Amino acid sequence: MKLTINDREYEVPEENPHRVLLWVLRDELGLVGTRFGCGAGICGACTIHVNGVATRACLTPVSTLAGARIRTVEGLSTPGPDGQPQLHPVQRAFLDVQVPQCGWCMSGQMMSAAALLERNPSPTPDQVVEAMQNNYCRCGTYCRIKKAVLSAAQQLAQETKPLTQETKP
Amino acid sequence: MSDAVAPKKSWRPTRRQFLLGLGVGGVGALALGLPAMRLAVSRAVDEGLVPSSDPLDPTLWFEVLRDDRVRLHLPKVEMGQGIHTALAQIAAEELEVPWERLEVVHATTAHGPVDKQGTSGSMTVVGLYQPLRESAATLREMLRTEAARQLGVQASALVAAGGTLSVRDQPEKKLRYGEVVAKHTGTWEVPEHPPALKPAKDFQFIGKSMPRVDLEAKLTGQGVYGYDQRLPGMLYGATARPPRLGSTLRAAREGKARQQPGVVEVLMGSDFASVAAESREQAHAALAHLELEWTEGESLQQADVEARTTVKDGEGVLVQEEGDVPEHLGRGKQLSAEYRTPLAAHAHLEPQSALVEVKPERVRVWASTQMPGSIRKQVAKALERDEESVELVPTHLGGGFGRRLDAKAAIEAARLSRATGRPVHVGWTRAEEFRHGFFRPPTHHVLKASLEESGKVLAIEHQQASGDVIFSLMPGAVGAVMGADFGAWRGATIRYAMPHRRTLAQRVELPVPTATWRGLGLLANTFAVEGFMDELAHAAGEDPLAFRLKHLGDDELGRRFRRVLEAAAKQAGWGSAAPEGRARGIACSVDMNTVVAQVAEVSVESGRPRVHRFTCAVDCGLVINPDGATAQVEGGIMMALSSALSERITIKNGQVEAENFYDYPLLTMREAPEIDTLLVGEGDKPLGMGEPPMGPVAAAVANALFTLTGKRLRSLPLKL
Repeated sequence: MKLTINDREYEVPEENPHRVLLWVLRDELGLVGTRFGCGAGICGACTIHVNGVATRACLTPVSTLAGARIRTVEGLSTPGPDGQPQLHPVQRAFLDVQVPQCGWCMSGQMMSAAALLERNPSPTPDQVVEAMQNNYCRCGTYCRIKKAVLSAAQQLAQETKPLTQETKP
Repeated sequence: MSDAVAPKKSWRPTRRQFLLGLGVGGVGALALGLPAMRLAVSRAVDEGLVPSSDPLDPTLWFEVLRDDRVRLHLPKVEMGQGIHTALAQIAAEELEVPWERLEVVHATTAHGPVDKQGTSGSMTVVGLYQPLRESAATLREMLRTEAARQLGVQASALVAAGGTLSVRDQPEKKLRYGEVVAKHTGTWEVPEHPPALKPAKDFQFIGKSMPRVDLEAKLTGQGVYGYDQRLPGMLYGATARPPRLGSTLRAAREGKARQQPGVVEVLMGSDFASVAAESREQAHAALAHLELEWTEGESLQQADVEARTTVKDGEGVLVQEEGDVPEHLGRGKQLSAEYRTPLAAHAHLEPQSALVEVKPERVRVWASTQMPGSIRKQVAKALERDEESVELVPTHLGGGFGRRLDAKAAIEAARLSRATGRPVHVGWTRAEEFRHGFFRPPTHHVLKASLEESGKVLAIEHQQASGDVIFSLMPGAVGAVMGADFGAWRGATIRYAMPHRRTLAQRVELPVPTATWRGLGLLANTFAVEGFMDELAHAAGEDPLAFRLKHLGDDELGRRFRRVLEAAAKQAGWGSAAPEGRARGIACSVDMNTVVAQVAEVSVESGRPRVHRFTCAVDCGLVINPDGATAQVEGGIMMALSSALSERITIKNGQVEAENFYDYPLLTMREAPEIDTLLVGEGDKPLGMGEPPMGPVAAAVANALFTLTGKRLRSLPLKL
């Protein structure tokens, strides 16, 4: 079957339709930026977007993804005019606030944050907590994550180009 | 061409020619050895540095590349503590290179310094501050000497700045570091003594919040961790796990495992049964088709763990004794209390992982590990090979917290790679992490004190019992000889200037594997001591801050405690009314010479403790990177708070009950307090920062809850 990931088509063998996306991404397609943390949909380290919605790759069988638009952390940045990747506002904010410590949970954190900002470009602090409360960070960077998500929202509000355009296939 | 550094007296020779031909700039790379130095094996919590008796191998730190980048090979691993950035700042300071041209990499056992101690104990920056400055300054002077020769001027006429050596008053006459190296032939003379170092007033990098050097890779999903390592043709390995603690393989047959889809190899030894398959899921699925018989193992229950972890009055090893406690403990107003902390998991989000490629001529291991040298040794032993033929490549770690000391994942992958002739990756599942690793040990504390009429403590005694922390990682004889595990009693001694005080540490040997967890005994012991200190303050009818202050000594430690206590209290509004429905609690600790005071502001929501705000004042000496130090405070408080409010490993029928986070929930952003950090230290040397901020957290919260509810909580996690 074909999977559309970060605007690119990937051919994936259909031999086991129950295979979850996480291991296909990481072990078959080399997209290791989507991390494994628990395999039970609790920690959020494997959060990706399926049709713009934050989704746990560790619980999502690939058979359910035919025709779906999948976005991983590798597709969060976009190619800039000089060919260099242009960081997504969420990535820029996480960098500016110096959020990560070990960094393992960060792909999932940013994908949850980016999905939030796509459906709600100007969230309140409580809405940020609501959207981010299912992403564990064992290093304990929560206060910085919250600050960075709010800062990314402000940044987005100032930018003319709406985020949704960047995510169109 | 060899650029090996010629050894001089105070410098060790380089182990081998360094990195010739590596990358574009590799040719002409310059290697520099550090002086032989002793890194601390451990620091007695009270007495400061205890130097290692085991000097490092001769080491190699820097490469100057032809394109002017300087690559710094660090033997300490980055697990989120920010040390690669702090060490780069320390190096850049003396090296006089632009920040962007300094590139930091993990040293492998094939190139760069080898660190036998591992990365732990908040010792990295403390231990490397001086040697790394000296090393960088020496490299700069070597470049200066060589540039002077190439330019035909006196070395003293050259100014080093921005990665360039230029002639004073003739700035057009200059050589970039890369040019100096490229034009150099022969060997490098290493000066016998390091040059004078820059005074603090001239610092450009030390003391500044330089951005972390590793974040961009981590924020763009690059595969920098052990779980991410990939090689063409690799397989995935999985290993059968015992059903209970202590059970071992009695008999193993392949069963139908080999016939399962994707299975390439089934490997069984006297104490293991593993499968290698084309995919990770196939390897794990095939395990169910092995026919395995296990020995009975433990029938341990949670009540047994707690019963065994109980102080036996007067037993154990005296680890602190001031004055005469037995003589004075019975006088005046007497108080006693018991505290307890549970088994706890590290719950680092990247489970154990390693990729191993065994070839006839050499073995390469990529691993998320805090102990590269030890893992290398253990893999070599498991493969019955010469250690020199095993290269260990440390990766970034998805959290460490003391859990990444064992070699199991690497050994499992190594055996399967040898058997299949293909690279094998082993990545543990969360259930394997919870059930087949090791834990922070449970503790029990009995505290007694006598209060004088004046409200001063005359005598105090802390007896603590703990499962092993360091002993479990050492040969059995160490525990037998030392008696008390210094990891277990870290933070246990009474640091107030009370005339009669003593601490007894009792070793509890449990069938549950226990070892290091961030801060070792610090969180548990401080919870007990500082909780009891709060009880004493209330018993004396005094304000907990004032009570602490009046028990401080008139020495440097006492003054440092006073500074952090007063700073945290002031910032937190101590003494003013807390917001409606809330109360504040205070606690302090000293660990790795870093002094910490914290004020927690709490309320109760739906019958559960809710922490709104933490104010933390820290004296960690010279701060290399204020934002990095602040991040360690924030992270340490959050991890300790999660432990204090939520986390507990329990045992049932000889097995760890928790299997995944649904049994062991961590705190989330919803429960995260605001954290206000004050760095109030002084001094010309950095002190430990990775663990000390965890110390007072549980006590500060429990003390605040007492003020709010009148209920004294003496057991973790804190439940009202």
